[in-house]
Parts: sequence; C-alpha cells; structure tokens
Amino acid sequence: MKNLFPIIFVLFLLATLKPQAQQVFIAKGKIEFEKQTNMHKEIDDSWGADDDNIWKQNYKKILPKIQTTYFDLFFNEEKTLYKVGRDAPQGLQKVPEWMMDRTTDNIIYNDLKLNQTTSQKNVFESNFLIVDSLRKIDWRITSDTRTIAGIECRKAIGKIMDSVYVIAFYADIIENSGGPESFTGLPGMILGIAVPRLNTTWFATKVELVEIKETDLAIPKKGKKSNYAELQQQLKKSTKDWGKNAERSIWKMMI
Amino acid sequence: MKKLITLLLFALSINLCFAQKASIKGKVTDTLNKQNLNHAVVSLLYSRDSVLYKFTRSNESGVFDLKNVKAGKYLALVSYPSYADYYDTITLAENTEIDLGKVMLTTKIHLLSDVTVVQKIAAIRMRGDTIVYKADSFKLREGASVEDLLKKFPGIQVDKNGNITAQGTRVEKVMVDGEEFFGDDPTIATKNLNAKMVNEVQVFDKKSDQTTFTGIDDGQTKRTINLKLKDDAKKGWFGKVEIGAGPQDVWNNSLMANSFKKKRKFSAYGIASSTGKTGLNWDEKGKFGDGGNTDMQMNDDGGMYMSWGGGDNFDNSNYWGEGIPKSWSGGVNYTDKFNNDKQSLNGSYRYSKIINNGGGKTISQSILPDTLFFNNEKRNVYGNKDRHAINSSYDWMVDSFFSAKFTVAGTKGTINGTSNYYSEALNANNQFVNKSKRSNTSNGDNQSFKSSLLLRKRFKKIGRTISLSIDQSWNESNTDGLLYSVNDYFNKLGINNRSDTTDQKKINGSNNKSINSRLSYTEQLAKNTTLEVTYGINLNQYENKVLSYDKSQPEKYDLLNTKYSNDYDFKIFTNRVGSTIRFNPKKLNVSLGGDIAFANFSQKDLIKDSTSKYTYTNLFPRANFTYKFNANKRLNINYNGSTRQPSIQQIQPVSDNTNPLYVQVGNAFLKQEFNHRFGLSFNNYQVLKNRGYYANINYGFTEKAIRSNQTTDSVGKTISQYINANGNYNYRSSISYNAKLQKIDASIYVQYSYNHNNDIGFVNGLKNITKNNSQSLYININKEKEKVYNLQLGSNLSYNMSNSSIRPDITTNYWSANFNVELNIQLPWKLELNNEIEMEIRQKTSFFTGNNNVTVWNGFLAKKFLKNDKGQLRLSAFDILNQNRGYSRNINSTTITENTYQQLAQYFMLSFVWNFSKGGAALK
Repeated sequence: MKNLFPIIFVLFLLATLKPQAQQVFIAKGKIEFEKQTNMHKEIDDSWGADDDNIWKQNYKKILPKIQTTYFDLFFNEEKTLYKVGRDAPQGLQKVPEWMMDRTTDNIIYNDLKLNQTTSQKNVFESNFLIVDSLRKIDWRITSDTRTIAGIECRKAIGKIMDSVYVIAFYADIIENSGGPESFTGLPGMILGIAVPRLNTTWFATKVELVEIKETDLAIPKKGKKSNYAELQQQLKKSTKDWGKNAERSIWKMMI
Repeated sequence: MKKLITLLLFALSINLCFAQKASIKGKVTDTLNKQNLNHAVVSLLYSRDSVLYKFTRSNESGVFDLKNVKAGKYLALVSYPSYADYYDTITLAENTEIDLGKVMLTTKIHLLSDVTVVQKIAAIRMRGDTIVYKADSFKLREGASVEDLLKKFPGIQVDKNGNITAQGTRVEKVMVDGEEFFGDDPTIATKNLNAKMVNEVQVFDKKSDQTTFTGIDDGQTKRTINLKLKDDAKKGWFGKVEIGAGPQDVWNNSLMANSFKKKRKFSAYGIASSTGKTGLNWDEKGKFGDGGNTDMQMNDDGGMYMSWGGGDNFDNSNYWGEGIPKSWSGGVNYTDKFNNDKQSLNGSYRYSKIINNGGGKTISQSILPDTLFFNNEKRNVYGNKDRHAINSSYDWMVDSFFSAKFTVAGTKGTINGTSNYYSEALNANNQFVNKSKRSNTSNGDNQSFKSSLLLRKRFKKIGRTISLSIDQSWNESNTDGLLYSVNDYFNKLGINNRSDTTDQKKINGSNNKSINSRLSYTEQLAKNTTLEVTYGINLNQYENKVLSYDKSQPEKYDLLNTKYSNDYDFKIFTNRVGSTIRFNPKKLNVSLGGDIAFANFSQKDLIKDSTSKYTYTNLFPRANFTYKFNANKRLNINYNGSTRQPSIQQIQPVSDNTNPLYVQVGNAFLKQEFNHRFGLSFNNYQVLKNRGYYANINYGFTEKAIRSNQTTDSVGKTISQYINANGNYNYRSSISYNAKLQKIDASIYVQYSYNHNNDIGFVNGLKNITKNNSQSLYININKEKEKVYNLQLGSNLSYNMSNSSIRPDITTNYWSANFNVELNIQLPWKLELNNEIEMEIRQKTSFFTGNNNVTVWNGFLAKKFLKNDKGQLRLSAFDILNQNRGYSRNINSTTITENTYQQLAQYFMLSFVWNFSKGGAALK
C-alpha cells in the first residue's frame, strides 16, 4: 500500500490538473525498473538458430522464458543513482547461475549537470569504478508515445557502441534527463528501454514522489578506477577467443 | 493519428551586430488560457534524421534561450505534457539569433480517422475481444512486408512514418507470436518480417502486465497487434552421405537423412564400417537420431546435466576395447510436437550388428608370502552379436505446474562366440606348475523391455513440489555352450603328475525383473531454506541358472553334473526413506541429509530346494557446503557415507568350473562395509586475466571393507573367499592451472596429481598391506589461429610405486610417459591437412620386460568443393607406423598384470562426403 500511494498521487495529479494550464513536474523521487531478459532468445542467439541442437531444445525446456530483476533509480534535479532493488518473486523454474543477471551488484551514479558518471561495475571477478563523461548517444526523436507507469513517454531511438540499437521511452514530466544504467541525454527521464540485440527491456513499474536524501545519491567508491574506453579494451582482450559470443558479452558488461 | 499544429513560417532576420554563434529564443504560451508555460521542453533535432542535438526547458515566464548553436538545418520541437507538439523547421546561419517569438501550444485533440469497413467475411473474424485477419486472404506482391499487408486490412491505417491506427485507436504495441517486438532495430526487422511468413493478424486491447500478473484489472489497456507466424515456413530436408574404402578390406560408408515439416521430423540412417564406427556420434545423434530420448535436469547449484537413454556397446559411436570389429547399423526415428509444443511424441527403431575378431596376451605375477607365481595367458576370441531396439517417449506439459513423461523401450538380440585360451603357471624357479588349454563356444539370445513414468507437479506456493517416478524393467538371456578344457599339473620337480579334462555342455539362463519407484516432496520452510523428503520402494527378482551336462556318448551331453550346476531364484525388497535440508542464500549452499534403506534378500536354491534369507539396514548420510566468492570462484566441502551389503555371490557363491584353477568359496559371516568419503575443492577462474586454478583432494576410508582372501596351493590353484578387513583408505589430490601466455598467444594447462591407495587383503591367511603411490604431471599447450591452423601439444609423465607388506623385497616402480601432437592446417584451394601423433613410453621393470613403447600416427588430407563446401574428398591414414595395440597394466594387492591385445591397425582410406539440403531457410 505504501508504494501504491505515490502512483495514485501522480495519477490524481494527471487527472485533476489536465484541464488546467500549469502541469506539475517531478523534480525528485524514486523509480522502480523491472529488467526482463528473454532467456530462450538468449539461448538462440548464443547457440545459433539451428533447432536440431538437442542441448538447445533441452535447455529451453527447463529454463524459465523470462528472467526478471528489479532496480531502483533515485533522482533529484541533476543526479541519479541506479542500483539493485527488491528481489524478484521466485518463479516456478530456477535460473541457472551462469545465466543470472550479473549487473545486480552494479551502482551507477550519474551527474547530468557535470556530464559525469561514476559507475561501480562488477565485471567477472573484478570490481571496476568507471569515472568518465556520460555516454554520448545520438537519439532520434519520434512522435510515438507510450504510457509507462501511468506517465506518458515519448519514444526515441539511439545506437550505442556503434551497432547496438536502443529504443527508449522518456517522460518530459520529469525534468532530470537521466535513465537506467548508462542511458541518458533525453529531454526527460527515461522510463523504458529495450535493447533487442540483448533480448532485454527495462520498464518503470512505479514512480514514487519521495524525499531524496543525500545518502540516497551517495557516489560509489569501490573498485579499480577505469573509464569506458579502458574497460572496453580490457574486455576485448579477455574475450578474444570467445568467438561470436564475445561481442554480446562485452555489450552486456558495458551497458 | 497525431495531428501537428500547422507550421508557422518565419522570415529569418540577420542581426549583424550580435554574438559569435547562433542562438534561438522564444516564449512558450498556451493558446487557451494565454498562460506562460514553465518547464516546456524545447528540442533542436537535426532536420536530416531527427537526431536530438540540444534541448532546454522554458523558465517561469515561459522563456527559453538555446545558446551556442552550430549553423545548420534543424527541426525545433516544443512539447508540454498533454499538449500537442509544436514543430518548426529552422535554418541557422553562423552568428545569427533567431527569436521564435510566442510559441503557442494547444491541448491535444484526438481526431479519429475515417474508418472504411469493407466486408470480407472469411478474412476477418471476431474472436472474443479480438479481431483476427487471415493473412492469406489478401493479395500481395512478391516480397511484400508486414506493413504492406497491414495496409490492405480494412480498419487499419498505416501512415508514411509507419505508425499504425486500428479502428481509430493508435496501436501502441506490436507483438510477434505473443512477444513484444521492437521493430525499430533494422537488424531485427530484416531478420524476421516478411508478409509471407504471417498466418494471421490479431488486433486487441492488451491489459497491462500488472493486470495479467495480479489478475486485478487496473483499467489500463493498449491497442495491440499480434502477428501470428506460419508454422510451415519450416519445411525441407537435409542429410549426409559418406563413402570410404581402402585396400585390405577397409570400408566406412554411411547415409543419413532428415526430413522436417513444421514440428514433425523423420530421420533415417545406415552405417557399414570396418574401421570401428558403430553408431551415430554426438553431433549426428541430434540431427538423425532419437533426440527426444534425452532428459535434462538442473541440480541445486544451477548446474545442468543431460542424460541419454541406453548405454551399452551398441549405443556408442565408436568401438572400443579388444579386437577388430566389422559393424553394420541402421535406424529410423520420428518426432512430432502438438498443441503449442505442450505434447511431444518420439519413436525410433535401430538395428546393429558387430562381428569382432580379437586376441591378446596377459602376463601376471602373483605375490605370495613365501614364493611367486607367474601366469601367462594367450587367447583368441571371436564374437558375433546383433540387436534390434525400439524406443518411444511421450512428453506432456499439462500446464506450467504439471508435466508427465512416459517412455518404453525394448530390445531383442543374439550373441554368439567362440574363444580359445592357453595358460601356464610357473613358479619362482621358472618351472611349470600347471598348464591349461580351454575352449568355449556359446550361442545366446537376449531380450529386454523397460518402461518408465515420471510425473512432476509444482504448486503455487513457491518451493512446493511433488514428483513421482516409476521404472519397470525386465530382461532375459539364454545361452547354450560347450566347455572343453585340459589341465596338466606338475610336481616340485617339474614333472607332470596329474591331468584332468572337462568336456561339458553349459546351459545358462538369467531372468531379471524389477520395479523401482520414488516419491519426492519438497517444501520451502523459510526464505532460502527447503526441505526434501523422499520415499522409494524397489522390488527386484532374478533367476540365475547354470546347468552343466556331461557326455554319455559322443556328441550326446545328457548327464546333469550337479556339482557344477545350480539354479537360484533371488528376491530383493528394499524400502528407502530419505530427507535433505538445504540452506541456499546468495553466496552459500549448505545441505545436510541422508537416506536409510531396509533391504530384504532371499535366495532360493531351486536344485537343492533350500532358502536363505538376509536382511540389512543401509545408511547413506551426506553433507555439502559450498561458498561462492563470485560467479567463478568457489569452495566446496562435502561428505558422503554409504554402507554396502555383501552380494549373495560373496556369501554363497555359485560353484563354477569355467576356470578350474580359480575357485571361489562363500563366507556366511560377511558383514556390511561402511564407506566414508570426504572431498574438498577450490576453484577460481579469472576471466579478465584469462587464467584459472583448481585444487581438490578426496579422502576415503572403509570400515569392514569386503576384500578377497586368496589361498594359492603348491600346484597354483587359487581359492578365493571374501572377508571383512579394516584399514583400507585412499586419497586423490590434484592441482591445476590454466592461463593464456600473452607473449606467444597460446593457452597452457598444467596439472599435477598425487594418488595414494592403502589396500588390505589376505594372502594364504596372512594380512597383506599393499601401498600404491602414483603421481603425474600433465602439460598441454594450445595455439590457434582461426581458419589457419590449430596446434596442440600435450605430455603426461607419471611415476608409479607399489609394494606389499608380505614381500617387502619386491617393489614395482616404473615411469611412463605420453606425448601427443595434433596439428591441423588450413591450406589454400580449400585443402585441410591434419596430423595426430601419440607416443607412449613405458619403463621396463624386472617384471615388465617387453618393449611396450608405441607411436601411433594418424593423418588426413581433405579437399572441400561444391557450393558452400558441401562436398569433401578425404585421404586418411590410420596408424601410419603400424604400431598400434591395446595395452594395460594393473597392480593390486597380490597380483601385477600386464595385458596386451589386438586393436584396429594400420589402414589407408579414400572417402567422399556430401552434405545435402533443401528448403527450411524461410524463417532464418
């Protein structure tokens, strides 16, 4: 019930304030993101489309189709902090360890005003602290809209790491131009992201208008200092022999 | 359809006395209330591709000012929640300032597009709240996209930007086969969507995910289009032909084919080979074999394991063991899936035949407290066996909570064989103790039938499951044979003082029936804590008979020899209960539990009409602890205990004169043994550094171990009896390391292992402790350049030390080494050259005096041709140096044995391989 109230509050505001000239904008709060990965498609992508592969068929039989994890994004006017949220309710089928979401230990701090990120990233056996400028994404703005967590969002399409398409939905009702993971740079908060190449989506399930303390936006400090270019270089070197799956692994780590 | 405000045209004014870079300013107001709009988003998009360049927000007075704008053509977009967007095209020259003046925004007005409904009854249907369009009812040009298809549908409009409106409402979601489709990524779009692949288009209002999940309708819906794809886009066939032949009766031919349509698959294969190929290999099994007959499970740790049906010599892809085989096999397989893949059916038939000719030599040394014996044996073996097998399985996923699997399998086969042995035993002074010549012939047939049922049920409550498995099996085999042996015994002076001859007909029969059942229930007690309780009943009944007949007149064996005949009926009834508690938070996995089994045995002697009964209670305690530091680093400690009752053969053996120089006697006082095993392992793989290490140690000891007590008399006849002995233990340990050698860009793997065995046995009534130590160092280096070459170098050095307490003067210490090189080179003109060399070097000892160094060199040269490299011509050579032979050394408490035997030897072969296929690419 406690979590429902803010949504109702937003809906109430949207409903009641609509006819009036002045819209209420959201300056700070907390957003819960539901990250979903289609594991059956992941299996297809890493094993190839050959349906006669018995291992593939059997894996699909015992793997749940969707793996869900939750993340929280705390934000004020110019900063965001993104980290793991509540536990996903345990599904009927277990996710094997080698397919589990490896980003749940990450903490992403973005300062939109200074155009800087400080990201604590768990990369295989190591913890990295990426200090860099925010990822530059060329967003193509469309006139399509979609309602996410009760808020109308506009669709934008971007490309990261030269070839990975990203579909984002942002809400201009939230003034912060941040988003989950390293996705930023739109005129409003990103409430939905789909990366088809990684079979993964992030969608806000609720937006809570809560007071944000300094401690909610604490800059992560742990990990070996690095930046995006160095990390990508390191990953390229380490996954040199991985064949076609190397690229996908790098994308997952770099996102 | 979103309607934009009519574009306003602006005259560009150039202000010459102002600023270095261009800027844009303006004021956002509301048309209705004439209020200034604060926080409105003003974005500048590049006009060529709508990519966002800069954005700002208006202040309290609605004023915005975008400074430092590069010269160029832009699209200005002003937006405000629940207001219609404002667009304007702007061309900026350097050092200009544009004032957009008042930007007026209007609240959204929904304009419904005109809906033209054209009646096409067959093509459009209502299914509940869903409108269904049948794709095939609309004529389309070749290669049309899904968008072209949608445009044909009455009630659906597609604008030039690709936006879709259905029955006047904007479509927010497009799904393909029920999954959301983000069609903006061109790689996805080109990969998938062609109008020809679409079966039907469904239009409906999708309830929110929250509603679907909770069942509570939150009233939010999205107009959604779901594209259902055709099933039969997948149709075609593929296969492989291989024809190979060489001089001296060398041949290896096969044909495999698979035809598929929708989910239905039909495959067939045939193989004939004199080079040891007895069946489908791993890869071929998936494509041409009964892939349905597999089952995959996940263990508590999330590891996966897959089990295959079958498992005897006929199920292997290559022959192993003694002899030179000729083999023929063939089979057909059918699989189909129904009801959205919820039900699947699989059936297969296979026939295999193997004719094997072999021979070998075994030499052994028996260590006795006061003397030594040497045994030499030579043998020739011929075997001819065949088998028909059928398998069928049916899988039914009733719903996401309940599944059932039923399998049946049957076989029918024959085994015929003859064998000839010559053996001699010599004493320490190299004088004959005995000599024996023996020949066996046998003709047998066998059949089996198995069925199993597996039911799995999950409950809504997380962690609660019930599963039940019932396995039934029956197998029967009958053999008729002749045994003829002549034995000569010598006295201490080496003079033949006694001989005997056995000439008997043997009729052997066995019949085994069993039913095993297991019920398992799991329940989550608390977060991360689950309890599993199991109960099983096993029933096993088997009859074993050996009837020996002596000759009454030539070629007539009709006198039953009761001394060497027996007919027993065994019944074993076991109740087994078990329980395991598991604690599994994020980094830890701890489990504790055990089973108790109550076994009742009864042995009925059908010739003497007597019955013996035994009951045993067996314990199986277990514990496991795993700590996961991270995904690739973990520590594991485990314990497994088990009691084992003596077999009935050990308590009351069936008398057997197959080898008159080796006699077994029973021990009615034999107790259960108790095995304890402890394991410790640590592994750490560092992906970023490309290196890993692994260490493990296993220690096991056995209380009241069941061991043989052998008594060998002066003429070399051994009497063996099982007794209980304490003090048996062993441990195995190994450490390994693998890394990438950056300088030479090669991977290296190094492993050192040390094993120790302490074995207690009895020899002629004396306790004998045999200690055996072995250590080995294994190094492997791999260097690869994709599509150019692949080089593997491996070496394994090991040292073996063995001694026994009754004869501390005799120690068996020796080195052995193995080196192998594998080099594969891709040459120009699609040529491939492959070489494999394996060298075995074994140190001679006072006992192993023969030269057993062997180098086996295999290679092939292949040329690919035809389109997509579908054809291949290959010249292969096996054992170029002609040195291959089977070899094994074995050391136990009282004997050291060396076995050498015939195996596939040198051959050359020319073969042609052709992979063929047709269709099936429509979906890919």
